[in-house]
Amino acid sequence: MGIAKEFSKGLFEENPTLVQLVGMCPTLAITTSVTNGIGMGLSTTAVLIGSNVAISLLRKFVPSKIRIPAFVVIIAGFVTLIEMLIKAYFPALSKSLGIYIPLIVVNCIILARAEAFAYKYDVVKSAADGLGMGLGFTLALILISSVREVLGNGTLLGVQLFGENFQPALIMILTPGGFLTLGTILGIKNWLAARKKGVSPDA
Amino acid sequence: MLREIIVIALSAILVENFVLVKFLGICPFLGVSKKTETALGMGMAVTFVMAMASAITWLVQEFILVPFHIEYLQTIAFILVIAALVQFVEMVLQKISPGLYQALGIYLPLITTNCAVLGVALLNIQREYNFINSLVFGTCAALGFTLAIVLFAGVRERLEMSDIPKPLQDFPIALITAALLSIAFLGFQGLKL
Amino acid sequence: MRNNEIVSYSLRLFIITFSVALILAVGNHITADRIEQLTIQLQNDARKSVLPEAADFDEVPLEGLGRGEYKLVNSVYEGKNEGATVGYCVNVVPKGFGGAIDIMVGVDIKGKITGIKIISSSETAGLGSKAERPEFLQQYIGKSTANTLKVIKNATPKDDEIEAISGATVTSNAVTDGVNAAAQLVNEKILKVKGE
Repeated sequence: MGIAKEFSKGLFEENPTLVQLVGMCPTLAITTSVTNGIGMGLSTTAVLIGSNVAISLLRKFVPSKIRIPAFVVIIAGFVTLIEMLIKAYFPALSKSLGIYIPLIVVNCIILARAEAFAYKYDVVKSAADGLGMGLGFTLALILISSVREVLGNGTLLGVQLFGENFQPALIMILTPGGFLTLGTILGIKNWLAARKKGVSPDA
Repeated sequence: MLREIIVIALSAILVENFVLVKFLGICPFLGVSKKTETALGMGMAVTFVMAMASAITWLVQEFILVPFHIEYLQTIAFILVIAALVQFVEMVLQKISPGLYQALGIYLPLITTNCAVLGVALLNIQREYNFINSLVFGTCAALGFTLAIVLFAGVRERLEMSDIPKPLQDFPIALITAALLSIAFLGFQGLKL
Repeated sequence: MRNNEIVSYSLRLFIITFSVALILAVGNHITADRIEQLTIQLQNDARKSVLPEAADFDEVPLEGLGRGEYKLVNSVYEGKNEGATVGYCVNVVPKGFGGAIDIMVGVDIKGKITGIKIISSSETAGLGSKAERPEFLQQYIGKSTANTLKVIKNATPKDDEIEAISGATVTSNAVTDGVNAAAQLVNEKILKVKGE
């Protein structure tokens, strides 16, 4: 596949969150506000590109039997670097994402891409794949957090949307809201996909 | 001190249930929860890993990372400990219970990337728990995970036999069910400990 | 695995781990200063916000901070305006539900609390995190350091009482413990020493 395709597949057809259904933990935990969603999405993208490139460069050096620990160390390295950068230059983001920054290490998306792609393909393609998957993840986060922030807090990107009398559904920014939003979005997505295929959704 | 331990234990299992309240450990939660026996097996494996991980990572932090001022290597050190532990559990399980080993499939090595395991290790340090408290928290958090995953598997087994609209089948209905379970657990927030 | 395979693989893994650790050491070196500066900045801003009348702050070197009776106290600064002391800022770190809560308490020379700010905390979102809201923190302002504050629930608080956040008793207790520690310190080590 050409490089452009390696990049764009991560955005929609193979969207890690909505299609491959990986990387659920941060997806549900961090999407209480769009700002957090964007922050987490971009941080993960940075780690993803870094680790994909590094692993692709080292693929001849790392024997298959020890590839998982090797991947994990490299990914952890990038996560720690990003963590340092965020603490130093974006302290507000560091405060709101908290423990979820080091938890990027165990975001299955990164390990999945390392295993399925970066270990097998060259650097440029791996970088494109990382960028695409990362941005696809970010888009999914923005979608979910928009729903949760608007319904659960009455704001979007921190801006009050409704008047004084709007009572937000607090549950949307609590845990059940996360499950509910993602479940509903996936249900709608399945329904739209079935319709597109011309199949009756209830078949 | 005993009171503190009981508070930590109850909070970890109910009030701060790792899956249904804190969103840690979702991937295996959604993946291995189709049958109650598999869910229970997974829960046991995770409990062992989380308990041992809590203990070992605490020791690593206390006796290696802090004295040498290399706290920034925490993420790497912890994840290596966890990866090693999971490798160990895999080997043991293959020998003593090949049936369970097969049933868990790819989800066994995936315990390494289970955010609940790394999450609990990080939380132990953040909350400045001593060794005993860390061990209790880690074990009980895992028990809470097991509770959630088994409950969920039970519900999903029943759902298999119901008539669910096609777009909602599999994942979406699972998530909506999880939402309801999670609302139930929200009730524990008022628990005055 | 054959023996030389084990050695070769372990060596490669070690090289990778070591290189990563080295890169992180460099990264740490580059960012550590800046991160520390940010922390100092946060503390300075907190001091200004809890004792607005003060223009300059000087650290008060005291014995026994962080131990025994004053275990929760991190630092004490004297706030001055044009040479005259207007009050003191005490940084306390009580243990809440999710770890240490970093609090700055401002006390004027008459022993009244002028301000309180939560610099950082990791309390439960939606419950203990409510402690950072003005509705809760307001209760402390104006209270006299002469009394030890108590936390109560479901009643109208008296002068020496603080109403807990419902569902966040541990957090409410922790913040109050911090304030009490600050108050006690100012009373015993500063105001009494000065003979007021």
